[in-house]
Amino acid sequence: MSYEHFIWLYRYLWIAPHVLLLAVAVVMVRKKLHRDFPIFFAYLLFEFLQFCLLVTMVYVKISPALYFRIDLFDRAVDIALHFGILHELFVAPVAKRLPMRRDMGRILNWVIVVLVALASVFIGASYYKIFNPSFLQGYVIIGTLNAAQCGLIVLVFLWHRFLGLSMSPFAFGIAVGMGLVVSIEPLMQAWKILVAAPTGKITDIVSMAAYHAAVLMWLYYALAREKATTGADAALPQLIEQAADMGRIAQL
Amino acid sequence: MTPLIILASVAGVFLLFLILQVWSRYSRPNELAKAAQLIPVNLDAFENLTDPEEEAYLRLNLPPAEFRSVQRLRIRVAKMYVAAMSKNASTMAFVGQSARAHSDPEIAAAGQNLVQQAIRLKVWCVLSATRLNAGLAFPGVLSPSNAIASRYLAVKYLAASLPGKLAA
Repeated sequence: MSYEHFIWLYRYLWIAPHVLLLAVAVVMVRKKLHRDFPIFFAYLLFEFLQFCLLVTMVYVKISPALYFRIDLFDRAVDIALHFGILHELFVAPVAKRLPMRRDMGRILNWVIVVLVALASVFIGASYYKIFNPSFLQGYVIIGTLNAAQCGLIVLVFLWHRFLGLSMSPFAFGIAVGMGLVVSIEPLMQAWKILVAAPTGKITDIVSMAAYHAAVLMWLYYALAREKATTGADAALPQLIEQAADMGRIAQL
Repeated sequence: MTPLIILASVAGVFLLFLILQVWSRYSRPNELAKAAQLIPVNLDAFENLTDPEEEAYLRLNLPPAEFRSVQRLRIRVAKMYVAAMSKNASTMAFVGQSARAHSDPEIAAAGQNLVQQAIRLKVWCVLSATRLNAGLAFPGVLSPSNAIASRYLAVKYLAASLPGKLAA
């Protein structure tokens, strides 16, 4: 089966997630979620604008050199925004308390530095003997930052578990969706080199499908938030009972 | 090839971790509620175990080797109290989180405040446990602190004040 058979699927997976990003942004504005997750909101808008720019560039047929330069810039901004989103998820439990938010932000910055350093050492040392330095540079940076992001997403889940708090539906959706996007890349890289032909497009389609799934997840959890808020009253009897128990203990 | 396989394996394990998170969220939605049980903490006993005067008295009246042994025992018990306070801080954060979602703005604000204070207490518990661990390694040099007891009491009263606000 040639690549031509996949062309419609390929186009769908390229266009649909980016259009859905706009839908997620609209839902966020309607539910005022953009106030809680401003960097994620900026990421959605940036991704959409980036898509529009790249599509225009493909049809205008500009030089490949300029296309790749802009694509590289987009990827760099994407990665920076990913770290910003992880920061937002990490401080989400204390979002309304500025001093604690600042303290946690500081801790997270150190964690990021340590994770990026560890991942750099591992990936740099592993690949140095295999690839030439020009290939090594780009590959190491992408691999390192993906590994660090995976580590940070694990920390976000562990952090909420440690605090005894359940993640808000939208924060949970963002974390799972982002995790899917960053973890699929090394898997596809391995698949491309070990199993599929290097020029095969199946890996590209799987990566794009994973991104599509992530965007659908963001949309679902953005919509699911209202349901969770209206159902909060159901927890009230349990809350009264627990608080009453605490009152009794406090009186001892 | 080996590093590529290692990276892909790590990504695979991470993907499984994500699946596990989704599964546990939907298969055990009330897991946190079930775990929200308070452990009784005797603050007087904890303060006694971490009392500097008590420590000074023991240091004066016991031979150094015996003092270190007794002090290690006291620190081990104090650590159990701190672990219980840490667990209760999580419970109080969970209670605050439930109240935070309430439609009454006053209750929601009280819940938000409780969550913040409980998180702060949780962090203090970690610091306190670290200090106790250091004290366990060097019982003759590092003394445990009992400052966490008053913080715990303050958060507990904050949690206990919630029912009154809920009834209003």
